Amino acid sequence: MAKRKGLVINDRQLDLCDDILRKLKDVSGSTFLALISTSGQPITTASDDYHPETLSLASLAASSFAATQQLARILDEKEFTLLFHEGKNSNLHVSQVSDQVLLIITFGRETQVGKVRLYTQRAVDILKPVFENADEENDLLQVDEGYEASAGKMIDDLFADVEGEADAAH
Amino acid sequence: MPLINFAAREINYKIVYYGCGLCGKTTNIQYIHRKINPQARGKLVSIATEEERTLYFDFLPLSLGTVKGMQTRFHLYTVPGQSYYNASRKLVLQGVDGIIFCADSQITRLDENVESYLNLWDNLIAQGDDLTKLGFVIQMNKRDLSDIFSVEDLNELLNHTHSPVIEACAVSGLGVFETLKTVCKQVIAKTG
Repeated sequence: MAKRKGLVINDRQLDLCDDILRKLKDVSGSTFLALISTSGQPITTASDDYHPETLSLASLAASSFAATQQLARILDEKEFTLLFHEGKNSNLHVSQVSDQVLLIITFGRETQVGKVRLYTQRAVDILKPVFENADEENDLLQVDEGYEASAGKMIDDLFADVEGEADAAH
Repeated sequence: MPLINFAAREINYKIVYYGCGLCGKTTNIQYIHRKINPQARGKLVSIATEEERTLYFDFLPLSLGTVKGMQTRFHLYTVPGQSYYNASRKLVLQGVDGIIFCADSQITRLDENVESYLNLWDNLIAQGDDLTKLGFVIQMNKRDLSDIFSVEDLNELLNHTHSPVIEACAVSGLGVFETLKTVCKQVIAKTG
């Protein structure tokens, strides 16, 4: 049976993304940026000294964005392309880059929302082709042959102690 | 689908606990959170109602460590089991790599189990996924109770894919890690 392909990121894509995120961070005055998959997994981040809990943030932002898309459908709107939360001290801005990728930005009260929106849209326009035109080169990338066997052994090891503990209780 | 980041040397898989309301999905994930080495897990996030029923999902990231140079993670999610939350269930299923169907073994919950199983198929088909291409394990939960179905009966009702079936009691932990281990190995074998 053919194996399922995932969302694959290569060195060239990541370098480009990191470069664009750094520039976007500088010009927009934002505090934290992350590219995540629409299924809630982080791809890369840019930040100076603010480091939120990225895994939870990515999972919640992707879910909120997915819910927003469903709200659009219920309201007979083709799509809502961004999600914005305004807080007392900080704001969260989530926008769609491609079918599989979202861009998260956090910024403080001192930064204008309009400025963030303007530069984010420009960044999305540059980021979009990075993900949409990479299938051919990513098809050549393969996970190491021994990955499955090694992972299987590590899964056994990770769960061995706790599994034995539950069994012993019965 | 998995996120395979060759540049950052990371692979992330998404695993979803599915099943009817009160079948034990959240109990599974809470047990894992409680018992697994704290260094191997992240924060447990739960979006629940005031009565602690899952409203949207629970989320727990697990780190397997570095396998052949690739940092490997499993992101565990539950769905809300109550039937009127189907819109939320569909959202959680997006990008799924493996599913644990948590069946409530009590005879009185037969209809809910079957309804949830059919609903899983419907939702996967609607998003263009094929259950036979995903990791899939059926966990028969609450085996410690009386008035429960036989494994054979539940197997006939819920296991058209001839997938692994594991008996469990999520409250005490029996079968919880065996179930997770089985689906983790499946998702790795089925993607790449």
